[in-house]
Amino acid sequence: MIGIPSKAPPAGVSQTATHGLSIDSLVAQHYGFIWRVLRGLGLSRADAEDATQQVFMIAARKLDAIAPDRARSFVYGAALRVANNARRGLRRRREVPDDEVLNEPEPEARSPEKMAELVRARQLLARVLDQLSEKHRRVLVLAELEQLEVPEIAALESIPVGTAASRLRVAREKFRATLLAMRDQNPFVDEP
Amino acid sequence: MKPDPIDQLGARLFEIARNEPVPHAAEQRALAAARLEVARKPEKIARFSAVRGWLMAAACVALAASAALLLRAKDEGLGISAEPPILAHAPSEPRSVPSATVRETPPIAPIAPIAPIAPTAAVTAKPVPSSAALPVHSAAASLSDELSALKIASSALSAGDPQAALRALDRYDRVLKGQKLRAEATLLKIEALSRAGQTGAASALAQRFVDQNPGSPLVDRARSFVVNGSEEMKR
Repeated sequence: MIGIPSKAPPAGVSQTATHGLSIDSLVAQHYGFIWRVLRGLGLSRADAEDATQQVFMIAARKLDAIAPDRARSFVYGAALRVANNARRGLRRRREVPDDEVLNEPEPEARSPEKMAELVRARQLLARVLDQLSEKHRRVLVLAELEQLEVPEIAALESIPVGTAASRLRVAREKFRATLLAMRDQNPFVDEP
Repeated sequence: MKPDPIDQLGARLFEIARNEPVPHAAEQRALAAARLEVARKPEKIARFSAVRGWLMAAACVALAASAALLLRAKDEGLGISAEPPILAHAPSEPRSVPSATVRETPPIAPIAPIAPIAPTAAVTAKPVPSSAALPVHSAAASLSDELSALKIASSALSAGDPQAALRALDRYDRVLKGQKLRAEATLLKIEALSRAGQTGAASALAQRFVDQNPGSPLVDRARSFVVNGSEEMKR
């Protein structure tokens, strides 16, 4: 649970939908998931932050209509739409640099060299994922970043389990082939 | 069997991506913005209800006026009018044309002025907290202080008091020196200025916001307040 100061909402204003889903719990449970998915879909840190905020503002507006057991599907669907819009916007303003500057300490980055290595690794992953089709990229992100099982992926993508399994298999093969073609960009070449 | 180096590299890349720290400051900002959005929802519903009420009233007036015109046209079509017909050849004969049925039709009552629809309870009853209730901080305020300040401004807007909203936002700037919810505060200020009739100032501020925050999730809402040059000229 994050350290959000709990402040009572003003009189007459409910922060909770009629069925008990609160915006606080929605953000606490799904912020990280949505942020990672958006990063996996190719948004920079700053764009992913903005897009994630937009997803939860959409969720706040529709709070009454979100069934608690469908909350993750709802925010995932909203994230895909927001990501598409964000990427269209990015194409329009390509002068915006792809910021990978970290403003929060990262446990793995013990030195500037290590930090640079992390940045290069993320850039390589983004480049490889960029070569995949949208549907393959999505299932791979859900499987590898979120480590979801095939039935969960199928539910989020609204596809049959068999389709999700075969799509994931193809996505992994394509990812591997693309990574093989880009192996000269391996940021860990110095390591044994 | 030796693991495949490409598979190892892929696994490592994904592991690094998985462990990328989630930006907690951004998470807090998102939560604050979402809370504000939830708080603004009743206002939107109330505004929609009020607009719907006025539209229904206008529709009733239009319907009544149309009915009156229709009946009058019908009467004129039958040769029945408020003025007695001029009968040149038989002035002394009692008129037999007007039928009892037509006469019995009650005269169309003048359209009663429709009382203005009272604003919904959500608009009138909602107390606007005084901006004096804001926490006084000279140093940087906490997120919850900033959120409280913006909720006061938002409530004032909901209650149809843009001046009170502007006062609360001014206090947010001067006293709290709010930074964490700066974008949300600016958007509320744009809306308050617009509702206070200062459309030029609202438009200029909205344009500045759009220019400075092209990637903000609030940019579309800000853009809706930008009045282009030709519209400005008409004003």
